Amino acid sequence: MTKEKGMKVPEDLLYTVDHEWIRIGSDNHCECGITDHAQHSLGDIVFVEFVANIVHTVVAQRDPVVIIESPKAASDVYSPVKGTVTTVNRVVEDTPEIINKDPYGDGWLFKIEIADKKQLDSLMKPEEYLKLIKDGK
Amino acid sequence: MKRTPLYNIHMESSGRMVDFAGFAMPVFYTSIIEEHMIIRSSAGLFDVSHMGEITVKGDSAALFLSRLIPTSMSKLEPGKGMYTLFCFENGGVIDDLFIFMINEKSYYLVVNASTVDKDFAWMQNHIIPGVEIENISDSTAKIDIQGPKSAMVLNKIFDKKKIDNLKRFHFYFDDFTGTEIMISNTGYTGERGYELFIENSKAESLWERLMLEGAEYGIKPAGLGARDTLRLEACYSLYGHEINEQINPLEANLGWLINSDKEYIGRSVLENLKKNGSEYEQFCLELTGRGVLHEGYKVLHNGEEIGCITSGIYSPLFKKGLALIRVKRGVLSIGDKAEVQIRDKGIEGEIVKRPFYKFNG
Repeated sequence: MTKEKGMKVPEDLLYTVDHEWIRIGSDNHCECGITDHAQHSLGDIVFVEFVANIVHTVVAQRDPVVIIESPKAASDVYSPVKGTVTTVNRVVEDTPEIINKDPYGDGWLFKIEIADKKQLDSLMKPEEYLKLIKDGK
Repeated sequence: MKRTPLYNIHMESSGRMVDFAGFAMPVFYTSIIEEHMIIRSSAGLFDVSHMGEITVKGDSAALFLSRLIPTSMSKLEPGKGMYTLFCFENGGVIDDLFIFMINEKSYYLVVNASTVDKDFAWMQNHIIPGVEIENISDSTAKIDIQGPKSAMVLNKIFDKKKIDNLKRFHFYFDDFTGTEIMISNTGYTGERGYELFIENSKAESLWERLMLEGAEYGIKPAGLGARDTLRLEACYSLYGHEINEQINPLEANLGWLINSDKEYIGRSVLENLKKNGSEYEQFCLELTGRGVLHEGYKVLHNGEEIGCITSGIYSPLFKKGLALIRVKRGVLSIGDKAEVQIRDKGIEGEIVKRPFYKFNG
């Protein structure tokens, strides 16, 4: 695990410029969430709402999947890749603070079956993402 | 961006800085919810040095002020403050402010950070002989200590008897390490609390001393985020949201400030509004459905748009969405249901009695 400004950036994940992470599983099934840096920037997460009827829906890369809100702002979380959303984490709807506490574990947001693995090349590697947050983007 | 004298302390305390009225200010340090709750239960500190302070001195000081505000100054006395407004001739609000009366010939005004230059220019334009005004904002630091334990913290630093006997809206001058400090029993949180005014050079040492003496009560620095959620639970207006140049005081439930019998700017319009009512009125809305409320969201009643949210929060205390709403007058009553349009959905809310949180002094 590498840290920048105290923010965790696990080395087994890929990242987006919008501060989402994706964990590549077997059979093209991937888990997604927001980064430690993102939850830290937002502050207390008090509300999570998935896009209506998102499960079993095909989403394009950067389509919104879930909206998360802190007391000061609402933010869309986008799909890092094109694919079919297979599951969403309903637990975070009732206890959104889990995202603050464990953004890479229990605070995961949705699972997606990736359409084309080649699209992963467009995502950022941990060292690239570290540089992004180091530069204060 | 301008910095307050406490900027370095904010950086050391991991303050999440944002631009507020041209100042780099902390929106929170660790968590808005934690900072909010420590003030409801114990004590917290705000740096609000960005706010404006204007002194008004001279034989005609009282007459001058009475021409600018709709509120009677008859209850003001040396050592006491009052809340009021500057309004245009048409009733639009220039700013909301506090006036502290030092003596018959000396007053101390506290205004919003974003409006201090506008306020000062407005005052200069209406100056009369026998009055001198000075904008001392850039040399004055303001630290608010708020919460039920705030007096206990101050008692360890200042004149205990004076602090214990200081009534709400009253103030006095004390000494902090050889420098004069003004301490008022006022605040913007709905809790007992104090506002401390001191010259910039002493801001850091005062802050550090308050943190030290407050440690046994778990005192925390609090940012503008918690300041906003606290004031909204207490239903206090925020300039630029509930009131602005286009919104008159009646529309923000501030009609009680219109009671002066002096000739002041905007009198005929404001008295007429108070007598006959304004086009819009303010209500408190509590969200019963799921969601977080934000400024600008539309409010509907029986499917018809009747107004919008002027300030919305997720309440750390009540754990639900709360909002002040500005709606067409005469449509809603306490207990009614109303819908808030959150993104593409109508979410149900209820009109409740004000305030959400009763002053806990």
